Amino acid sequence: MSQIAFWGAVELGLVYAFVALGVFLAFRVLDFPDLTVDGSFPLGAAVAAVLIIAGVNPWFASGVAMIAGAAAGLVTAMLNVRFRILNLLASILTMIALFSVNLRVMGKPNVALLNVETMLTPFFGHGLRDFYVRPLFIGVLVVFAVILVWRFLESDAGLAMRATGANARMSRAQGINTDRQIYLGIAISNALVALGGALFAQTNGFADVTSGVGTIVVGLAAVIIGETLLGTRGILIALIGCVLGSILYRIAIQLALSTDILGLQASDLNFVTAVLVTVALVLPRLRRGGAA
Amino acid sequence: MISIKDIKVVFGRGTPLQKQALNGVSLTIEQGSFVTVIGSNGAGKSTLLGVLAGDVLPTEGQVLIGTTDVTRRSTASRAGLVARVFQDPLTGSCGPLSIEENLALAARRGERRGLVSALGPKRREHFRERIADLNLGLENRMQDRMDLLSGGQRQAVSLVMATLAGSEVLLLDEHTAALDPGMAEFIMGLTQKIVSERKLTTLMVTHSMRQALDYGHRTIMLHGGEIVLDVAGDNRKNLDVEDLIAMFRKMRGQTLDDDALLIG
Repeated sequence: MSQIAFWGAVELGLVYAFVALGVFLAFRVLDFPDLTVDGSFPLGAAVAAVLIIAGVNPWFASGVAMIAGAAAGLVTAMLNVRFRILNLLASILTMIALFSVNLRVMGKPNVALLNVETMLTPFFGHGLRDFYVRPLFIGVLVVFAVILVWRFLESDAGLAMRATGANARMSRAQGINTDRQIYLGIAISNALVALGGALFAQTNGFADVTSGVGTIVVGLAAVIIGETLLGTRGILIALIGCVLGSILYRIAIQLALSTDILGLQASDLNFVTAVLVTVALVLPRLRRGGAA
Repeated sequence: MISIKDIKVVFGRGTPLQKQALNGVSLTIEQGSFVTVIGSNGAGKSTLLGVLAGDVLPTEGQVLIGTTDVTRRSTASRAGLVARVFQDPLTGSCGPLSIEENLALAARRGERRGLVSALGPKRREHFRERIADLNLGLENRMQDRMDLLSGGQRQAVSLVMATLAGSEVLLLDEHTAALDPGMAEFIMGLTQKIVSERKLTTLMVTHSMRQALDYGHRTIMLHGGEIVLDVAGDNRKNLDVEDLIAMFRKMRGQTLDDDALLIG
């Protein structure tokens, strides 16, 4: 694997670390299997791309992308909480609807972001090669996100959210409005995912309506790889595991695809992903010596 | 103080399974009074507790806790008035969270939860002291996950959790039923101590007639969704389990065939 390919994998891993953090909030903290992310990732990309092309400040555009993602999350939460639709199904409905929304936002299936000012533009051309600048910049954002999510989950408000996912009946007896926690948690989760989409568009130079397919699997893969490597001792370690898992996942994919002996090609990506996630799920059980 | 007036609860109204769980129950419990509740399965004990906690909204009637009318208020919105220990040790606490995190959750019961760190040094120390009072050695395991504790330990922590934030009433829902006899006795002793120290208005549902007479100031018996016995003071002091069963038979004019009631 060349250096450029390696740092490209790290960069993509860091972009998808936002997805992993969002998936962690929904699946692990709230115990809410949320597939909305397959729609909110390209939504974030689409909103950011369209606004940036229209001349809006890229930081502001990315902020709007996060709000759009949060709104998508609120729709899923409302379908579940207010209308009592099964959480998984509620999120699939939103995901399907978002495909059309994303096409509307962009007006076409694919928008190119070439020769426009992005969040990264000011950092290029200061002596550091571009393929270092991108992962460095996104890495700094990821560190901020991890610290914010960590401090939140260890606050009184965050504890209420964790309790809601762990034991809803007890939470209500402690005065926690569990419905509100689901709204809040799924909104934050999808805002993070949409930010990942916005950054994806800016680092790769395009937004594509199909770029969301399989986002949930990638996010889950990162969470599971992180748990396999670092265990579940405390919130901060779990969040670092998400980031690490996301990066390692991309490197593993890059390795698999660039090794000639295996004879894999880019279109085998989804198969490799499925194998990786399966291995990450089965490994810890084998290690424990129990029947897998 | 608790005051409930003419509470009726109907489950599954209009269906073949319609059941009148409570049939016009009225009850006033004075501030600081400890009341025990007995009754056979299906007598309405759990429903009564549910009506007070907010899990069951009554079909008719009125519920006052302190001076607040909570008849239509959800469990979460009345949690500031109601502290509770559940029968199943797993229900009353969060297994994946640590002991101190569970305590931090309970310390904010019924209050706004902000972005302040849930476990600052001051709170940590306070929680540690409260847990050390239990003499179970748990103060050295504050960061252990709650689901590593035994059922009895969890119930003991749950009792501490119930008293971290202020409340108008303490509801105990057969909170020793899932424990071995030794641990049940320990938890009852702890309950007694906490209730009398803090002068809590307490309602304890129990399956054990022995417990019902040994603890508290007043005992009520439910049957078929109605209060069929309500004793306090000297009348209660002179009662023993056999009297209670005889009284029950007399009042209902029927034989007692539920073994659950006989378990001393």
